[in-house]
Amino acid sequence: MAELTLFHYIAKKTLIHGMDGRIKLICMILFTMAVGFSQKGLDLAVLTAVLLMVYMAAGLSIKRLMTEIRYFLVLIGIIVVAHSFTIPGTAIPGLPVQGMTWEGLRSGLLFGWRLMLMLIIGNIMTGTTSFSLFKNVVEWFLRPVPFIPAARVAMMFSLTLVLIPAIFDQASEMLDAQKARCIDGRKNPIARISFLAGPLLFHTFMRADEIVQAMESRCYSEVRTPTAFQTTPTDWLLLGFTVAACLMVLLI
Amino acid sequence: MNTSAQLRMMVFASLMTALIAIGGYLSFPIPLIPVPIVLADFFVMLAGLLLGAAWGSASVGLFLFLGAMGIPVFAGGASGVAVFLGPTGGFLVGYLLGALVIGWVSGKGKPSSVKDFIALLLGDFVLFGLGIVWLKTVLKVTWAKALGFGLLPFIPGTVIKMATAIILVRTLRPYLKSLLPREDEYRA
Repeated sequence: MAELTLFHYIAKKTLIHGMDGRIKLICMILFTMAVGFSQKGLDLAVLTAVLLMVYMAAGLSIKRLMTEIRYFLVLIGIIVVAHSFTIPGTAIPGLPVQGMTWEGLRSGLLFGWRLMLMLIIGNIMTGTTSFSLFKNVVEWFLRPVPFIPAARVAMMFSLTLVLIPAIFDQASEMLDAQKARCIDGRKNPIARISFLAGPLLFHTFMRADEIVQAMESRCYSEVRTPTAFQTTPTDWLLLGFTVAACLMVLLI
Repeated sequence: MNTSAQLRMMVFASLMTALIAIGGYLSFPIPLIPVPIVLADFFVMLAGLLLGAAWGSASVGLFLFLGAMGIPVFAGGASGVAVFLGPTGGFLVGYLLGALVIGWVSGKGKPSSVKDFIALLLGDFVLFGLGIVWLKTVLKVTWAKALGFGLLPFIPGTVIKMATAIILVRTLRPYLKSLLPREDEYRA
């Protein structure tokens, strides 16, 4: 788990890294919507091909993606099995366990496939966009929305993104320390969760206090100069490509 | 609330969002229970109990916003707006309203474990209520199947998480209060 780098930014000079963050975010949201609303295997196959192409254009390692996807395979497996047993339809013959249907299995496999693609989209976004750029993009989009403190939400967004990998690693270290002390062998679930969540929360809040002190000592303010974005013809071209790919999948 | 306290609550809420996201990846297999315990909703409970209704729901709202923006924070690494329309969409919205209810009920008057318990009970009622109704609608299954799929396997885990949350909050609440400036309100 500690080596999971889905949320990490990988600095490179590629077409995707150099995109205007606002256009990139719109493209990624369009792709997640296309993936979410795809009903056929062919649609997902087209999206898989397009996304893998973008993934490679972003200079991200396919090998690393394969390694990291294995963490999600168990959960996806559970979803496939759950769908197979809950969705009514034609029973699959010749199985030792009764109740699985072809329709359920198909639905589960499509759902699992969608999850994989969403994982790839998220990986492209976080792997090619620095946290500060991400924050500025979010702030730019939220600024016209009434009753939403855009600067504060963007700051929280950025803080969360920065801290997820750090807390992830800390939780992983704590789990390993528990294993070394045979705590994972304890039967009492309340004790097991407390032994992990208790220290994790204390450490997290301690770190939060340090962050606050650092921000205060640097005169943190929500009143800042807005970021100047620059959109190039390549950005519009890539947006056009995304819209065309998504429309092709959803309408044809 | 002054700027310093507000800044602290903002950072605490961001960290709670990070914990909710990470909680989706931390699971504990429990003997005799078919579904492993996942800690995402446990941190949602803690967000409501520790940060109160406003900041607790803000941290959950930010978690949902991160997921909607395409960051793989939802269960199984899912993300995107479409997840809200999928079978688990009701549970995600339930997280937000659950944290709001937990924070609102536990934040009224002097803190106590009994009140925290009632708050968690009501919060989980809202969370599972919304989740199951949406699950039934999307999967087009009977109520019995929706309850069997979306509630019954999670009851033992939820009871364990509620008990753990109440125990942890008793030590974490005074600690968190000590980090906030003395003259300010602790809750948002």
